[in-house]
Amino acid sequence: MNDRQKDLLQKFAALAGLLLLVLVFSLTSEAFFTVGNGMTVALQVTSIALLGVGATCVIIAGGIDLSVGSVLALAGVLAALATKAGVPVPLAMVLGVLAGAACGALNGLLVTRAKLPPFIATLGMMLVARGIALQVTGARAVSGLGESFGQLGNGSLFRIEHIDAQGFPEVVFPGIPYPVILMAAIAIAVAVLLTRTSLGRYIHAVGSNSEAARLSGVNVDLVVLFTYVVSGALAGLTGCVLMSRLVTAQPNEGVMYELDAIAAAVIGGTSLMGGVGTISGTAIGSFVIGILRNGLNMNGVSAFTQQIIIGLVILLTVWIDQLRNRR
Amino acid sequence: MPVPLLRLAGICKAFAGVKALDHIDFDVRAGEVHAVCGENGAGKSTLMKIMSGVYQPDAGTIHFEGRALAFSTPRVAEVHGVVMIHQELNLVPHLSVAENIFLAREPRRGWFIDRKRLRADAQRCLDRLGVAIDPDTPVHVLPVAQQQMVEIAKALSMNAKVLIMDEPTSSLTEAETGQLFKVIHELRHDGVAIVYISHRLDEMSRIVDRVTVLRDGHWVSSGAFADTTVDRIVAQMVGRDLEDKFPPRRSHPTDETLLEVRGLARHGVFGPVDFELKRGEILGFAGLIGAGRTEVARTLFGAEAKNAGSIRFRGEELRIRSPIDAIRHGIAYVSEDRKAHGLAVKMTVAENVTLANLRAVCRPGGFIDFRAEAETAQHYIDALGIRTPGPHRVARLLSGGNQQKVVISKWLFRRARLIIFDEPTRGIDVGAKYAIYELMDQLAADGIGVILISSELPEILGLTDRVAVFHEGRLAKTLPTRATSQEEIMHHASGRDTGSSQGAAPMGLPALEPIAS
Repeated sequence: MNDRQKDLLQKFAALAGLLLLVLVFSLTSEAFFTVGNGMTVALQVTSIALLGVGATCVIIAGGIDLSVGSVLALAGVLAALATKAGVPVPLAMVLGVLAGAACGALNGLLVTRAKLPPFIATLGMMLVARGIALQVTGARAVSGLGESFGQLGNGSLFRIEHIDAQGFPEVVFPGIPYPVILMAAIAIAVAVLLTRTSLGRYIHAVGSNSEAARLSGVNVDLVVLFTYVVSGALAGLTGCVLMSRLVTAQPNEGVMYELDAIAAAVIGGTSLMGGVGTISGTAIGSFVIGILRNGLNMNGVSAFTQQIIIGLVILLTVWIDQLRNRR
Repeated sequence: MPVPLLRLAGICKAFAGVKALDHIDFDVRAGEVHAVCGENGAGKSTLMKIMSGVYQPDAGTIHFEGRALAFSTPRVAEVHGVVMIHQELNLVPHLSVAENIFLAREPRRGWFIDRKRLRADAQRCLDRLGVAIDPDTPVHVLPVAQQQMVEIAKALSMNAKVLIMDEPTSSLTEAETGQLFKVIHELRHDGVAIVYISHRLDEMSRIVDRVTVLRDGHWVSSGAFADTTVDRIVAQMVGRDLEDKFPPRRSHPTDETLLEVRGLARHGVFGPVDFELKRGEILGFAGLIGAGRTEVARTLFGAEAKNAGSIRFRGEELRIRSPIDAIRHGIAYVSEDRKAHGLAVKMTVAENVTLANLRAVCRPGGFIDFRAEAETAQHYIDALGIRTPGPHRVARLLSGGNQQKVVISKWLFRRARLIIFDEPTRGIDVGAKYAIYELMDQLAADGIGVILISSELPEILGLTDRVAVFHEGRLAKTLPTRATSQEEIMHHASGRDTGSSQGAAPMGLPALEPIAS
């Protein structure tokens, strides 16, 4: 069996696990396998998946980004404050994304220029970004943002509804939420970047053997910096989407999301040693986490038990991965 | 004649089918210093590791104090009193001297470490050596020479009867070496047997009683040091016969200067170094490990910053600040440690071949043309005879020789005009070596500059046109390969002037001599 087949097998194993989850939850809960719930799950998964895509880039290049949970809060808060200050909503959200990218760039510079270990650099950023988000809002939610602020998070494409006899709107098809479209588009774009472009190849090369990459003429620092900027920008985008869904900016949003993102990547087969990982794997990993949460919720499993189960799933998948690589 | 304390008979050891030791006999007696000499790769380290329980022999027996024993782990060997001090010292930098000496063997009182006894015991070991080191000092603040004393103290604390020292003087100054030798004299007086490996043959006359010479994993000779000379030892180490292991040279040096390096230096590491390379010529870099050859190459390639010097390449003055600059100008470096520096082992053959020139197989926008990439890889697989099921094989799964060819392919595809080969045949089987030699000759014939760094003198003699001999960060002498010998190269590499007599201090550096063209 060659490596390509092994990779496929690994991917199908994860996918099969995902389908098994869907099957089990469909049997245990009637409301699970419906279009409406499907969209709910997809919507819930967007934040994990967007952050997971960023995490995958950083981890393939041999780094780690612990700051995304805080950066998304900072970016969302800044977008909301800009909106309050009269900046048009789309522009305010672009500002939020740029703020995230700036945080990512700072992470990247700390890693490449100041030579800090990625764990420490992004741990520091995690505290700093959260602190700034709390500081500028006085730890209060920013509300009264107007309907247009909620458009990105709550709107959807192809929503079909008609007015029934009593004059109430009836939803035939809830539509595809904008965040889900955004997630799919970005996942595909980054997947193409990673697998089909020279930059993606360099990201893999740096993570596989950064010294060999450097001695082959790859601008290692620039490549590493790029991955952190991607991660930061996606965190910023996630922040805007999340705040938009609530139509309120919460400086306390996104706590521990970085760990979900890393877990999604790892469940999807991304190696924390660097050099190995796929976006499709991370997408599957994100859905595994999302569907577990949703399905367990529907079956009335407590949040505490959910944590235990998800923790065990992470341990199990990484252990299987270790077994596969040990040979 | 005293009974040997430790005796090895018929020891064989092979790694991945390559014989490192072939029926070696060796013994060491109580109260003697026994030197083991040989070139790099002769099997000295393997023999030491078998003696100290790191490796298990494939065949042969070990007798200690007259009994047949198997040292299944280093710990078992230590319990019997056979202790090895490695070249790179095995100390925990942030623990104190006393804690290091008794690491994992701390005296205890109940559940706790008996610190008072720990300190007192350590002090006793240090006193026995006659060195003034405070047992409470953290090891990392000590100079290397004193760290070595701590290692020796640690060995004594295990009641070492046989002490194996691998290149103990390699990083010591003259004065420190003197102190070490004094300690060795003391230990010998106390009946400790010392197995001593060193490249510095001149030092040996000061302490060595007997000497054993190994070559290519074979035993060559053993005898009293007084009955031999350094020159004879060198001759035995290198062997007289240059076997027919090298292809005939097809390329010939021209008058055109390809590369001219002047005053290249890196503070505290090497230099200033001057040399030049003609088109069609293969220039060898010879010298002992640590002589600065690799550092010169890496600096030339921009992997390390230079402090001074100019590099003229193909008539152009180059400013090289990083490998990116060097590669842009057509300079390539095939590194000494393939897996650490040369190859992205998790990536495929094709991905490695194109890594340094990915743009050449990319469409606009940076999209990789996978078909062109696979065809490129296949071209080099065919041209260089790389044994792989296909271009998409993960590089890790290839043999050493084939991995090396992948690295070379990478630079050929980058259209390199100068390739520096750093120990290109290390860990490669004989057949693959021949292929690599042929390739180097072909490159030179094609007008590509070739610099070969090698610790295997036959390789230098069999392949190069001229050889630059390095010693302690300086270019000691440049010799025309045809008119020189292994002995002459070894003399320069070990810091001896050909004219000087035995026992010359290694401090006496030969005058710096730029290459005359």
